[in-house]
Amino acid sequence: MNNFLVQLPDLVNQIKSMREIIITNIVLIGQTPAPTFREKRRSQLFMERLAEFQVDEVTTDGYRNPIGIIRGNDASKPPIFVLAHMDTFHEKNQPLNYTIKKNTITGAGLLDNSLGVGVISSLPVIFKKLDITFESDIVLAGTIQSIGKGNLRGVRHLLKTWPTPIRGGICVEGVDLGRLNYYSDGMIRGEIGCTISDESNRLSEYTPNAIIILNEVINEIMNLKLSQRPRSRIVIGRINGGANHGKLAPEANLGFEIRSDSYKVVKSLYGEIKDIVEGIGHRYEADINLKTISNLRASRLKHNHPLVKQAAAVLNVLNIKPVTKPTESALSIFLSRKIPAVTLGITYGENRYKENATMEIEPMYQGIAQVIGVLKAIDSGVCDEQ
Amino acid sequence: MNNKWLEKNTFHHSDFRDLNRLVEEKTKKDLTISLCLPTLNEEKTIAKEIIIMKSELMTRYSLIDEIVVIDSGSSDRTRDIAREYGANVYKATDILPHLEQFKGKGENLWKALYITNGDIIIYLDADIKNIHHRFAYGLLGPLLLYDDIKFVKAFYDRPIAIGTKKMRPTGGGRVTELVIRPLFSLFFPELTQLIQPLSGEYAGFREIFERIPFPIGYGVETSMNMDIYDKWGLDVIAQVDLDRRIHRNQDTKALGRMAFVILKTFINRKVRLGLIDLKHDLFDEMIQYNLVNDQYESDIFKIEGHERPPIIDIPEYRKKFNIDQAQTPEFQEA
Repeated sequence: MNNFLVQLPDLVNQIKSMREIIITNIVLIGQTPAPTFREKRRSQLFMERLAEFQVDEVTTDGYRNPIGIIRGNDASKPPIFVLAHMDTFHEKNQPLNYTIKKNTITGAGLLDNSLGVGVISSLPVIFKKLDITFESDIVLAGTIQSIGKGNLRGVRHLLKTWPTPIRGGICVEGVDLGRLNYYSDGMIRGEIGCTISDESNRLSEYTPNAIIILNEVINEIMNLKLSQRPRSRIVIGRINGGANHGKLAPEANLGFEIRSDSYKVVKSLYGEIKDIVEGIGHRYEADINLKTISNLRASRLKHNHPLVKQAAAVLNVLNIKPVTKPTESALSIFLSRKIPAVTLGITYGENRYKENATMEIEPMYQGIAQVIGVLKAIDSGVCDEQ
Repeated sequence: MNNKWLEKNTFHHSDFRDLNRLVEEKTKKDLTISLCLPTLNEEKTIAKEIIIMKSELMTRYSLIDEIVVIDSGSSDRTRDIAREYGANVYKATDILPHLEQFKGKGENLWKALYITNGDIIIYLDADIKNIHHRFAYGLLGPLLLYDDIKFVKAFYDRPIAIGTKKMRPTGGGRVTELVIRPLFSLFFPELTQLIQPLSGEYAGFREIFERIPFPIGYGVETSMNMDIYDKWGLDVIAQVDLDRRIHRNQDTKALGRMAFVILKTFINRKVRLGLIDLKHDLFDEMIQYNLVNDQYESDIFKIEGHERPPIIDIPEYRKKFNIDQAQTPEFQEA
């Protein structure tokens, strides 16, 4: 492995020599819309690209996650997964036209996660041109139904039903280069909906307003005591409601997320929010409900796990400064199934969730070299020792 | 009029998606292929066109031998970006500089004939937002697989991008439907079988392009259709459905100026072919009006409608391609 580590900086320029193919994959995939639950067109394109690059086996699993398998040299070794989620936040009929300039690419959904999918679909041709082989089979997976209400269903199914042990995994995200995620917080995302029925309008002395009611909910959530240890927090991330400026809002919705490194704390806070919602529902005689959108258990690799140490070494040798934070991505599904895995970012970017999401092209080649370096580390056995 | 040509010579790009077969035919016939992108301030789209074509049709499949950008003098970074991504970039004014200089798409296409080396030349507009390599291989397919076909035009289901979110399902080709199709219907009904005669994407053998004149501006597609039809007949032409093309929308006044040039080109061709007589020369000013502070102000665009002769008549061209003055054209006119 150490030999390969030494060679990694040289890989960057060799990867750059394939920039047209890599950028083409990113753009063709990125311009194919894939809102959560409607990823079919992008999945087909992903599989077409893998097939064109002569990946040994291209198929879907039982949940229609598209996957490509590059056969390794040692059939006794379990496979290594490289994974990127297929879905984006953008609507299906929205034109996705990417713009490439000298140093940047811009387009909706690019950073989350068309870039990741484009990069993993380029790996077969990169391996081939650079003559990189592995002992393990490499499974390139684009997982569907990941974000929002998708609740990581694709990756959950993929890992749950995979017929053999899995040696290790890398989750590829577009940004930011340097992220080295190896633990995930416990998390529950919920949505509180408030609807004022016509009957309430008729019977109440004061007509209720759905936005004001949710404001009460927010105030009470803000009064909750959050523990410092285990670390915990509640994010009010999304709100919408009302009809127009001069009309009392007949309905409103609030989206929130509870995170903690203890899932027990997350569940306890969720219970408290449930009590708040019920209490306010009684007080205002409003139809107010709480539902869970997604949830994750806290899970982690130790900071001195060989995979974490070796991944950090790969980043260092490429002059990338590692940044570790918790993530709520597919990583947690790997870790919860006791499969060592890390999440890596490919390049730097801005406007992640906007239509003009923009990535820097040049650092991407380091980002790809880093993925190959970590793959080689897993293939050399860093996940086998635990 | 029967639609035999339409049925026989109309294809879909998916008919040619077997790129290995196209490469095989190209190799067997010992052909070279050039892609030409005429540009004027296309910094937003030029890189994508070059990268995708280079990746798919040069690196992965050896179908295209060179990508050439001929620029009309962009004031943005079009040339810089195109160069960065590996295209051969030329300013139109630097090609055959001793000739009188004109500015326009037709001028760039004509000069590309001198600069490029391919036996087949593909011309693609550089403002295609949803560029895909099918735009090139779709046009190449009939040229490589059918010996009779020498010129291929694209047609589309053309949505127009309006703003960032909305897309009209149809609506492109207004000048086609309001100007060129009525004219073809009146004078050359056979040509109405061309679904989008004004589409900016086409490919053909050098031996065709070098023998026809090129108007320097918008009229180039109209004249090309008419001249190829007149010299070699409809059977050397094919058209390919390239599905969807997203491009910039143009306002009505800009389309009016385009229609002016096309009408002028058409009428001049009719005169040249001896089909009509004009009592006096056509005027060369397009006059439009704006309402400014309750006053009507005219906007006058002088559009002279210059035309380049067949490039085979230019000595430098003959020299570069070793064409003997007395050499009989290989490709006989009809």
